[in-house]
Amino acid sequence: MSLAQYGFQKLVLLNSAGYSRAELPLDDSVSIVAPNNTGKTSLINALQFLLILDQRNMDFGSHSLEISRRFYFPNNCAYILLEVLLPTGSVVIGCVGKGLSHDYEYFAYSGSLDVGDYRLDDGSLVSQPKLISHLIGRDKLANIYQQTDLRALLYGNRQKQQSGAPDLTIFPLEYISHAATYQRILTRTLRLDRLDTREVKKYLLEIFKNDLNDRGVDFKSEWDKSFADVNRDKAQYDAVFRNKVLIETMELSQQERKALRGKIIHWKPLIEKGLNEWEAYHKKELGELTLVHQQLENDGLVLAERQKEIYKDQATTQHSLKEFQKQEKKCEDLSIQFQFVTDLAQLESQRQQQQDERDELVRLIKNVEARQSPSVIKKDIKKIERELIDLNQQLENLGDNLYLRLQELLPSDSFEVVKRLLARPVLSLSASSLDNELAFKDFVAQIEKSICNNQLILPGLSIDVSALEPNLVIKTANELEEDIKDCQGQQKELHKLLKTAEALSEETQKQKRLEQKIAQLNKDITDFKSLLELRENTQIRQSDIVKLRESLEVLGIEEKKLDESKGLIAESLKQNEEKRGAIEAQHRRINQSRNQRQDHQPQFSYLEQLPCLPYMEVGSLKMTELADQIESYNGDCQKLKQLDDRLKNKLDTLHHDDLSKFQYEESAEKELESLFAFTAQLALEKEAIERKSRSAVVQVAAILRGLRDSLETLKMRMNEFNNKINHRQLSDLKIFRIEPREEESLVGAIKTLISTSEQVDSGNSFDLFDHNTVLDDKALNKAKDILIREGEARGSIKVEHLFRLVFKIAKENQKPAEFENIDSAASNGTVLMAKLITGLAMLNQMQNPKKAVKTLCYLDEAASLDQKNQRNLIKTASEFGFTLIFASPEPQITARYCVPIGTKNGVNYINQFNWQILEPIDE
Amino acid sequence: MIDLSTLSSLDELFKQFNSGTHLNRLKDTELWVELENNQEAYQSIYTALGYTLVLDGRGFAYFKTDQGTSNTGKLTRRLALLLMLLFEFQADRGINLFQFQQWRIDDELITNIWQNYKTILEAEELNDVSAIKDTFDSAIRIGFIENDSGVYALLPAVHRYLDLFEELAQPEIPDETESKEEVL
Ligand SMILES: Nc1ncnc2c1ncn2[C@@H]1O[C@H](COP(=O)(O)OP(=O)(O)O)[C@@H](O)[C@H]1O
Ligand SMILES: [Mg+2]
Repeated sequence: MSLAQYGFQKLVLLNSAGYSRAELPLDDSVSIVAPNNTGKTSLINALQFLLILDQRNMDFGSHSLEISRRFYFPNNCAYILLEVLLPTGSVVIGCVGKGLSHDYEYFAYSGSLDVGDYRLDDGSLVSQPKLISHLIGRDKLANIYQQTDLRALLYGNRQKQQSGAPDLTIFPLEYISHAATYQRILTRTLRLDRLDTREVKKYLLEIFKNDLNDRGVDFKSEWDKSFADVNRDKAQYDAVFRNKVLIETMELSQQERKALRGKIIHWKPLIEKGLNEWEAYHKKELGELTLVHQQLENDGLVLAERQKEIYKDQATTQHSLKEFQKQEKKCEDLSIQFQFVTDLAQLESQRQQQQDERDELVRLIKNVEARQSPSVIKKDIKKIERELIDLNQQLENLGDNLYLRLQELLPSDSFEVVKRLLARPVLSLSASSLDNELAFKDFVAQIEKSICNNQLILPGLSIDVSALEPNLVIKTANELEEDIKDCQGQQKELHKLLKTAEALSEETQKQKRLEQKIAQLNKDITDFKSLLELRENTQIRQSDIVKLRESLEVLGIEEKKLDESKGLIAESLKQNEEKRGAIEAQHRRINQSRNQRQDHQPQFSYLEQLPCLPYMEVGSLKMTELADQIESYNGDCQKLKQLDDRLKNKLDTLHHDDLSKFQYEESAEKELESLFAFTAQLALEKEAIERKSRSAVVQVAAILRGLRDSLETLKMRMNEFNNKINHRQLSDLKIFRIEPREEESLVGAIKTLISTSEQVDSGNSFDLFDHNTVLDDKALNKAKDILIREGEARGSIKVEHLFRLVFKIAKENQKPAEFENIDSAASNGTVLMAKLITGLAMLNQMQNPKKAVKTLCYLDEAASLDQKNQRNLIKTASEFGFTLIFASPEPQITARYCVPIGTKNGVNYINQFNWQILEPIDE
Repeated sequence: MIDLSTLSSLDELFKQFNSGTHLNRLKDTELWVELENNQEAYQSIYTALGYTLVLDGRGFAYFKTDQGTSNTGKLTRRLALLLMLLFEFQADRGINLFQFQQWRIDDELITNIWQNYKTILEAEELNDVSAIKDTFDSAIRIGFIENDSGVYALLPAVHRYLDLFEELAQPEIPDETESKEEVL
C-alpha cells in the first residue's frame, strides 16, 4: 500500500466559483456537506480545468463553458490549485484567471501547496501578471504551461518536458494514446449519472484498442479484390457453359471451314486450267457431233425412199391376190350350185320345155279375156240379192204396213207428200210402228202447212215435192211372188259366169310363173358357161396366188427391217441432239459459273495462310464434268463465305454475352482455337476456378481472422475486466458483469468463412469440395452476403460491430438477468454503484499498475447509497486508485473527512480547520 | 435541437414501425445502422410524437404498443400462439431455443406442429397447415419471419416472443418480486 500514498493531496480554490477560499482534502475519502445548490458540485468541477484541460472535453452540466469560465475566473486573482504527491515529490498545478476576458493560464512548480504563497502582505490575492515572480520570490520555481503541453505532461508524455521542470505525471498511463479516452472517462466519472451502455462499449473499445486490431474491414472490397480473378474466370466459365451448345456448333463450323479451305486451295488451279481449255474443247466436241448428225440424216432419207417403193409393191400385189381369190371363190360357189348339172344341154332342154308350156297358156287366156270381168259379175249378183230382200219384206207386211195405215189415216194430198218423203223400207214397215196416230197426224198437218205450190218449206230447205217420185207402189202378192222368181233365176246365171272368170286369173298367174322360170334358166346357163371357163384356169390361178403371197411376205420382212433401221437412226439422232444439248447446256453453265466466281474476292487471296485441312479426296479435273466441278467449286466458295459470316456473327454473339476471355488473341482464328480448347476442358477449368476460389476464400478469411481474433481478445479482456469489477461485492449484487454478446449472424458469417478456409487449407477436404463446390456453397454465399450488407451499411466492419454489451446482474438467490441498459437494471443506488465501479475500473485499466497515483472520484447525491454500499465503494475505489468524494446535504460518516461548506462575508468558504476527521470507532 | 434533415429515414422508419413492423438488423441492415447511429434523435422524436421506439440490442427495433389494431392484434395473437407452440415443440425435442434463428421451418415441421396441437390451433381458427403458412406469410410483412426459398426462418424480432415464453416457462419465485421492490 506504500504506493497508495502517491496521489492528490489537496484542492484549493481562491476567489473562484463563488468561494473566497476553499480547501478540500483529497488524500482520503471526503464527505462534502452542504445544502443543495451551495457549491459542492462546482467545487469538484473546478478540477476539470486542471485535469481535463481540453475545453472540448469539459462538462459543466447545464452551464456553458463561457458562463463557467466567468464563474471560475471572474478576475485575474482567481485560482484553482491542486497539490499532488508524486514519487518525485510534491507538485502544485494551478490555473489562474487572466482578467476581464475570463481567460486563464496554467502554471506548476515543485513543492507543497501553501495558500500563503498567493497572498500579498496586505492579505489580498496576487494578481496573475505578478504571480510567477511572486512565487519565485517565495522559492516556488513556477513555470507557465501551454494547455496542450501541460496536458501531455500530466498524462506522462515527456516530450514536452522542460529541462529542470518537475515531472508532472499524475496519470501514469500504460499507453499515452489512452490519454483522450482517459480524460473522457474522467469527465464522466465526475458526472457518473450520465454513463450509459453505449459509452461503456465505446470506452472499453478504446481501452482495449491496443490489444485489438481495430482496423475496419471493408469486406466487399476485400472480397471483390480476392475474388476479382475468380469472378472474372467464373464469368467466363459461365459464359462458355451457357453457350456450350453454340460453341460446339461453332467448332463443327470451324472444322468444316478448314476442310473447305483445303478443298478450295486444291481446286482453284484446276478450275483455272479447265476454264482456259474449255473453249477449244467445246468447239471440237460440237463439230464432231454436227458431222455425225448430217450422216444420220442422209441415211434416214435413203431408207424413207426405199420404204415408199415397198408400200407401192405391197399394194399392187395385194390387189392381184384379192382378184384371184375372188375367182377361186366364185368357182367354188358355182360348183356347189351346179353339182347336179352334168352339162349345158341339160339346162337348155329344161328351158325349151318351159317355153312350150308357156306358149300354150297364152293362147287359152286370150280367149277368156273377151268376156266380162268377175268384179262386174259380182256387183250384179249383189243387186239381185237386195231386190230379193225388198220383195220379201213387202210380201210379209202386205196386210198391215205403214203405207197402208197412212193411206187410211191421212188425207190423200198429205199422203201423196208423205209417200214421197218416207223411204220405201220405212213405208213397208209394220203398221205397229205408229204408236201415236194423233200426234203423227198433227205432225203431218204441220208439214202440210209448210207446203205451198208443191214446195215444202222447211227451215233452211225448200223441196219441190212434185219432183219427187212416190217411193212405194203397192203390188199384189202375186205380183210380188212373180218378181221374186225372176230375181232368183238371174242370180243363178250370174254365179255360173263368175266361176269362169275367176279361173282365168289363175291361168294368168301360172303364165307369170313360167316366164320367171325361163328367165332363171337363162341365167343358169350363163353361169354354168362361166363355171366351165373358171374350171379350165384353176391350176394357173392357184400357183399365181402362192407366188403373190410369197412376194408379200418378202416385202413385209424388208419393211420391218427398214422400220428398225429408221428407229435406230432416230435414236442416234436423238442421242446426238442430246449430246449437243448437253454440251451447250454445260457451256452455258460454265459461262455463268465463270461469271459467278467468288474466289477473286480478297478473303480468298490469303487462304493458304489460314488454318486448313489438306484435301484428302482424289480430285482431278474432267472436262466433261467441268460445269459440275466449277459449280460445286463456286458453291464451296459461297459456303466458305457463309461460314466466315456465321462464325463471325456467332463470335460476336459470344462477345455480346461477355465471353471476352480470348478476344485479344492475335486473330479470330486463334481466338476460336483457344475457345474450343477451353470448352473441351471445361471440367478442368472448373476445377481451376474452384482452386482459385478456395485460395480467395483463404485470403478473405485471413483478413476476417484478424477481426475474429480481436473479438476473442476482447472477450478475454472483458473477462479480466469483469473479474476486476467483481473482486468486491457490488452493492447487493451477487453478480455484476459487463459481457460482450456476439452478434450471432455476423460472427457466424465470419466463422463460416474462416472454417471454410480452414477446410480448404487443410487440403484434406478437396473431395468434399468437389461435391459441394466453394462457388456454389449456399452457406458460404449467405455468409458473404451478410458481411457485404453489413459492411456496406456501416462503411466497414470493425470488431465493435461484432458484439454488444449486456449487463449481467444477479442478486443473491436469483438467476442472473441480462440488461442492455444499465439504468433499467436495478435500483438507482445500485445503478450508481455499478456505473461508478465500471467507470473506475475502466480508468484503472488504463493506468500503469506500477506507477499508481491516487486520483479522485466524485459521487454526487451520495445519500442514495447506504452506508454498507458506501464503505464498499470507498474500498473498491481505493483499490482502483481513487479517493472517493461524496456530496450530500447530510454528512456521510463512511468518509474519512467531513467537510462542511461555510460562509464568510456572504461567500462560500472552507478552511482546513473546518475539516472533521472521522475515525472508525473500532479501529 | 435535433436536426431533422440528418435523419434520412425518419419517414420510412415511422411507416414501418407504425404498421407494427419490426426492423431486423440482419434484414434491414442499412436502416438498422441508420437507427443505431442516431438512436437518441430518433427515439426522442418518436417519443415526442407519442410512440416508444425500442431498440433491442439483439438486433431488432419496434414501436412499443399497449394494444395493436384489431387486425395486427389477430395476427399477433396467432403468431404468438404459433411461436409458443413451436418453442414448446422444439424444447421438447431438446433443441436450444436461443438458436431459433438457425431453425429451418419447413413443411415437415409445420405439419408436425399442426398434428401435435390441432385442437389448440383450431380454437384460433387455424384449421390446416395452409392457415399456419398464411400466418407466417403475414408475419413476414411485419418482420418476424423470412422465407428463404420456401423454408421459413425466424428473425431476431422473435426474441420478443421467446422472452415471453421463457418468462412463462420459469417457475415463479415468490420473493423475486419482493426483493425487486426492495431495490426499487
Ligand atoms: N459551471 C458553473 N457556471 C456558473 N455557475 C455555476 C456553475 N456551477 C455551479 N454554478 C452555480 O453555483 C451554485 C451552486 O451550484 P452547485 O455547485 O451545483 O450546488 P450543489 O452541488 O451544492 O447542489 C448554483 O447557483 C449554480 O448556478
Ligand atoms: Mg450538486
